[in-house]
Amino acid sequence: MNRLTGLFFGIFLLFGVSWLGLVAYPYLTFAGLRQSKDEATGALAPQGMPGTAAQGARVYAANGCFYCHSQYIREEKEGNDIGRQWGTRRTVARDYMYDQNVFLGTSRLGADLTNVGVRQTDPQWFYRILYSPRSLSSEVAMPAYKWLFQTREIQGQPSVDALKLEGAYVPPSGYEVVPTAEGKALVAYLLSLKKNYPLPEAPEATE
Amino acid sequence: MKETVISEAELRPASRADHRDLSGVDRAIRVPVLIFFGSAVFWLVIGSLFYLLSSSQLFSPDVWWTFPGVAWLSFGRAYPAFLNCYVYGWATCAGIGTGIWLLSRFNGVTFRSPLFPSVAAVLWNIGMLTGVLSILSGATTGRELLEFPPQSAFILFFGLIMVSLWALVILWNRTPGSTYISQWYLLGAFLWFAWMYATAYLVLDIVPAPGAAQPAVNWWYAGSLVDLWFTPIALATAYYLIPQIVRRPIYSDKLALLGFWGLALFGGWTGMTHLIGGPLPAWMITASIVAKVLMLVPVLAAAANFHLTMKGDFSGLSENFALRFVVTGAFIYTAYAFEGSILSARSIAQFTQFTLVPESNSQLGLFGFYSMILFGALYYIVPRLLNRLWLFHKLIETHFWLAVTGLWLSFAALTIGGLIQGFGLEDPQIPMIAVNDLLEPFLAIQNFAALLLVVANLSFAISFALILLISAPVRHRRTAVERFKEASESTEPEVSVA
Ligand code: HEC
Repeated sequence: MNRLTGLFFGIFLLFGVSWLGLVAYPYLTFAGLRQSKDEATGALAPQGMPGTAAQGARVYAANGCFYCHSQYIREEKEGNDIGRQWGTRRTVARDYMYDQNVFLGTSRLGADLTNVGVRQTDPQWFYRILYSPRSLSSEVAMPAYKWLFQTREIQGQPSVDALKLEGAYVPPSGYEVVPTAEGKALVAYLLSLKKNYPLPEAPEATE
Repeated sequence: MKETVISEAELRPASRADHRDLSGVDRAIRVPVLIFFGSAVFWLVIGSLFYLLSSSQLFSPDVWWTFPGVAWLSFGRAYPAFLNCYVYGWATCAGIGTGIWLLSRFNGVTFRSPLFPSVAAVLWNIGMLTGVLSILSGATTGRELLEFPPQSAFILFFGLIMVSLWALVILWNRTPGSTYISQWYLLGAFLWFAWMYATAYLVLDIVPAPGAAQPAVNWWYAGSLVDLWFTPIALATAYYLIPQIVRRPIYSDKLALLGFWGLALFGGWTGMTHLIGGPLPAWMITASIVAKVLMLVPVLAAAANFHLTMKGDFSGLSENFALRFVVTGAFIYTAYAFEGSILSARSIAQFTQFTLVPESNSQLGLFGFYSMILFGALYYIVPRLLNRLWLFHKLIETHFWLAVTGLWLSFAALTIGGLIQGFGLEDPQIPMIAVNDLLEPFLAIQNFAALLLVVANLSFAISFALILLISAPVRHRRTAVERFKEASESTEPEVSVA
């Protein structure tokens, strides 16, 4: 019995150390994070996500965008993310303090999306990629998210959101392609992805 | 039972604790173990189909048979469906069944009523089914390896607790005397798995962890799942089957113990290597890298032990299917661990992180190391539970060779493609689209490899269905009886630790 009890404790103790280090420690430390105040402007950063964007984050999860797209920027010495202009500084824990769901991701079949809302500000650009990724290049492995859109008959005026499509993607005349509520929420989320405010712990990369 | 396929000596476990007839134990746990094995094979088939689908979608996203435009079969859902069917369906169910069978064998006791564990198996399948359907419908948590919504996870956890208690009861009621290393691994595995699963859902869903703590917990869990659930189960199996089949005791008890404590010490720390450069304190990531390298100690201990037990006598591999699978898995374990620790070095991760290379390493671990050993275990255990023989050896041959070919082909395609991708990503002059174009041929080869792996899995499933449904004709049995007799004439192994 003794031997088994010793084994039992060993099993718990050794695993418990990793639990303290990798679960309890980040939990407690990151819970204490606060917004940072810009000395010059007095602006607080980061800001929480607007409501539709938070809904969009659910759509992002549901469709598994994070299996192909990452959302963090490494320091220059750890990788060339900054060189690729995916960001101007590394991202740190504080950047994610308001995110209900943090999609760091581990694959970059597609581009890093940490700052995609800085790079692109036009919803139409996002709609087009989601509806017809192969319009970027015929080899792009991204699925076409047709179910985030609907093709419907134009009633009166064409809607403002209607996609401006080209070539084979153009709907039959009299019809238009518009994003569904989910599609709009997702794009609101993508537009909100901006980690371009200064943080003291992550100075901008110097050339 | 008129004609036993397996001679009595063969039935004895490798432990000194037991020299009595164990067919009683096999009979008592037959139902629950077979339910777990049956579930494992079922989810293996479903998982394989999703694997083939998601692999095809990367290669040709717009072809009709990859279901473009169908939300619930799109890549972002098919891929996690594959992963979860494989990990929690196939790998975990097979692991639970094997683990329980081993424990019962060692201890010569088992749970009296098969009802309790059978209920656990049913719960597990309900959890799986609702979980996979949730993923397909888009109701996922959005966390890798923890995609199941908390409701499904709760059912799974309930089943898991029942299974773990069952394991503890068997272990506690064992006949006094020495314990064998496999028992240590199994005790650890069941306790660790319950603990990590509970922690992950508690911290991520019930009292949601703040921001960047989520990925930390997520990858702590994923690393532990591999190193403290799958690895100990596979090692327990190999530590039992290899000495048992070659009829020689394990070479060194000390090495086995070193391996166990090494695993227990470093296993929980390896996960952050997926987040190198991520928004976490540098020490957390460094600790994981160090742990990943130190993991080579238990890996080498196991590799040396297996090799020295075999004594370079690999002749049994051609006749004994179970041994062939187990030894292949054990070899791949070493390769997998070496590659894993190389990939975790910062200077290398700079190029390989975010590419297909880590995926190739995970496949080596899941399809190669773990699954091969567990296939071996099923090939060994199922005939003993049913007192029947595998019907068509051709199917088993097909399974083995297709699995090995598919595995290496997929590994090569993902590794070479991934390296090209990695160097491409590091050079900002090369646009993303161009990097994607370069990947195309490798994704094609990977897709073909996936097909081979799926056919391999299907031949296994067919073998399994046949042995469940049909008992082998007597003529086949005779020869088998003779072959087993010969094997059992060599000396009885004596293996125990501490
Ligand atoms: C199968 C992998 C895959 C999945 C899943 C995927 N993408 Fe992509 N994505 C790509 C690839 C490949 C590209 C093209 C390369 C590039 O420019 O990033 C791309 C490009 C993009 C771009 C343009 C990025 C840029 O800066 O040029 C956006 C935005 C995008 N994807 C959003 C999404 C969203 C939102 C989802 C989920 C609904 C998603 N992707 C799912 C692979 C994927």
